[in-house]
Amino acid sequence: MTKRNDLVTGDGRTHIASPLMRESLVDRRTVATTASSHEYRILPDVTLVGLGGHSIFDRGKEVLVPLVDELIEIRKHHKVVLGVGGGTRVRHTVAIALDVGLPTGGIAQLVGAMEEVNAVVLNALLAKHGSVLMYRDHFWELPLYLEGGMLPIVISIPPYHFWEPPPENGPLPAHGSDFGLFMHAEVLGMDRIVFVKDEDGLYDSDPKSNEHARFIPHISLDELLANMPSDLILDRQLFEAWRTARHVRKVQIVNGLRQGELTRALAGEPCGTVIEK
Amino acid sequence: MSSERRTIDSPLANAPLTQATPPTQGEAPSFSYDPVALMPEVKVVKMGGQSIMDRGRQAIFPILDELTAAKDRHQLLLCCGGGTRARHIYAIASELELPTGLLAALGSYVPRQNARMLQMLLARHGGIFILHDDFEKLPLYFRLGCIPIMTGMPPFGYWEKPTENGRIPQHRTDAGVFLSAEVLGVKRAIFIKDEDGLFTDDPKKNPNASHIPNIGARELIRRDLADLVLERVVIEYLARARFCHELQIVNGLKPGMVTRALEGENVGTIIYKD
Repeated sequence: MTKRNDLVTGDGRTHIASPLMRESLVDRRTVATTASSHEYRILPDVTLVGLGGHSIFDRGKEVLVPLVDELIEIRKHHKVVLGVGGGTRVRHTVAIALDVGLPTGGIAQLVGAMEEVNAVVLNALLAKHGSVLMYRDHFWELPLYLEGGMLPIVISIPPYHFWEPPPENGPLPAHGSDFGLFMHAEVLGMDRIVFVKDEDGLYDSDPKSNEHARFIPHISLDELLANMPSDLILDRQLFEAWRTARHVRKVQIVNGLRQGELTRALAGEPCGTVIEK
Repeated sequence: MSSERRTIDSPLANAPLTQATPPTQGEAPSFSYDPVALMPEVKVVKMGGQSIMDRGRQAIFPILDELTAAKDRHQLLLCCGGGTRARHIYAIASELELPTGLLAALGSYVPRQNARMLQMLLARHGGIFILHDDFEKLPLYFRLGCIPIMTGMPPFGYWEKPTENGRIPQHRTDAGVFLSAEVLGVKRAIFIKDEDGLFTDDPKKNPNASHIPNIGARELIRRDLADLVLERVVIEYLARARFCHELQIVNGLKPGMVTRALEGENVGTIIYKD
């Protein structure tokens, strides 16, 4: 920025002098002037952990309590931000919403409530160990929580709400909680995300319905994008966003039904499936 | 471990929701989807930021006169663009190599200022400033004869996807206006700008650019123009929208054009779902 506080007139509009002044922000040539190979990391050294709604939370006490115990120990050694999906109540909401014919944006507006319910439960279990439910408006309090040794639990569904873009196929909103947590990590410059699910990781088809599904312990994002399985354990939009992302290097999927896997993943061990960019 | 998922029975209870072909289109639990248009009569109108707001009184007042003259005939939802102040903060944040999501969050402040300005100017005609969270109260505002005014930015903010080859957020105020029309079930969204519509190049820079009165979304994508009059994602979404099938761009600097657009005349440029 060479000049400051310069107002430019003469074409009927009042501009502020800047490299983007008068330019069409739709013009590819203009957009390209804002590109650079580097990007500032806002909150590095933090790991995002996402607990599955359907896969983990809906299993209740038997699975949640051991995971909570693991998280309490993990927080002593790592800065962690926690999120949880919505699970079966989201599916029920969507089924009814589709039946009555709500538009895609209307469905997207509804689903976040069920995840927030799960986040409240998780926070109740972890509160005495320093968890805090972070509402969206408190986004910039994250450094405070992390530096204070707390365990923030964030809302995982992204705030697309009524403004959910038209999906490529079918009426279901495409921007779900896995995508929301991914974006949370990416915008803050985090390096990795660990998703806790009820499978060992990624398969080439759904192992719940296909007993011959092949397990994929390690794969690069490019390989995965070139050959996407028809059933995925994470939101498709996560991979779409990851393609152009700059910070997240590693997405790991571990089995939360196996005690200790989450702890091993946080310690950097290659358990479950590791997807690397 | 013997734990079980406690599911609520529904057609989607055990279906993966991430399939390439979602359940309602595949063979799996099949049921029909017949979407409802929520408020199809609403006119969703965007006031350009750089094109209108940054011109001040001279451009804004005649447009507001046309809008207030039409407000008892039509339910108007007015959405605002950003303009040069948004460009200024995008330029500074890009120079600092900050992420796209942060730029989107920063960019949301300026259209909100513009919406507040219009609210003050339209207060005596029922102008009312609304936030995204007030969207569900639109029926009340219209029932009372108000003109709800909001930002054109969608609420994505920090959750805006990274932009390829640059940092400017892909979803800005055109996208928010289109998506508002789509969810309300409105067939045509109206964009008030300072040009007659779509040209083959930026008419402010290229005097040989020629006007395109109407064009299909797919055709427009196929032409692969370096510059466009609306954000690219909007054209992409138009091609697969369920309700909002037409985008009309009119020149707000020419008296009467806004009124004619509100009456349904095909002035300016119409980009349609083909």
